[in-house]
Amino acid sequence: MSNPLRGEVIRLYKNLLYLGREYPKGSVYFRERLKSAFLKNRDVTDPEKIQKLIHRGEFVIKELEALYFLRKYRAMKKRYYEPEH
Amino acid sequence: MAARVLSRCVRTLSRGAAVFNRCDVSAAAAAAALSLSRDRVFSHLAAGHKPQLAQTPAGTQWRRYGDLPPLTLESIRDRVLYVLKLYDKIDPEQLQVTSHFMKDLGLDSLDQVEIIMAMEDEFGFEIPDAEAEKLMTPDEIVQYIADKKDVYE
Repeated sequence: MSNPLRGEVIRLYKNLLYLGREYPKGSVYFRERLKSAFLKNRDVTDPEKIQKLIHRGEFVIKELEALYFLRKYRAMKKRYYEPEH
Repeated sequence: MAARVLSRCVRTLSRGAAVFNRCDVSAAAAAAALSLSRDRVFSHLAAGHKPQLAQTPAGTQWRRYGDLPPLTLESIRDRVLYVLKLYDKIDPEQLQVTSHFMKDLGLDSLDQVEIIMAMEDEFGFEIPDAEAEKLMTPDEIVQYIADKKDVYE
């Protein structure tokens, strides 16, 4: 409870939830997966391990951002150019 | 509006002039009467329009434009409970204003984060993490929102 990294983890969870709202498979799907991913590591107490998991979460944030960027790029491309085949 | 007032003035003036022509009075008297009648027109307009505005009750006339109706403690509580009832992990029948999210409703800290996010969406402002952690009952959420929005009655 009094872990100093608790705030970090909650912030990460919140950011991921915000990003998950536009997930292609739906926000409910994303939320369930996210929650189970967090619950899987609920017993981790080692600060180093927690730090590692937080980094992993931040990596996932980056991946999500890249995913949305790519989706936007594809949508734009589809609107401006003829399909190649 | 201005055009309508002008046309009404002209109409009244010409009617007044016709009356005086028929009565065959001197030009000076006609001019005096005209100025009188013009005064009458304006006073009539002023008298005719003002009461119309004053008669309408203030409540219906008051415009809020894009603003929402003012919050009260009652409405905040209703909205908080409404959001909580819609949350799928809360049993609406168990929900009380004083029930603790973790102890009484069996939620975990991640659910609590989701609830706070739902409140942020509902009331349109951000709740800092440090304070969000302390909000554990619907009552505390209502109090916090009332404090932030300056609602005291």
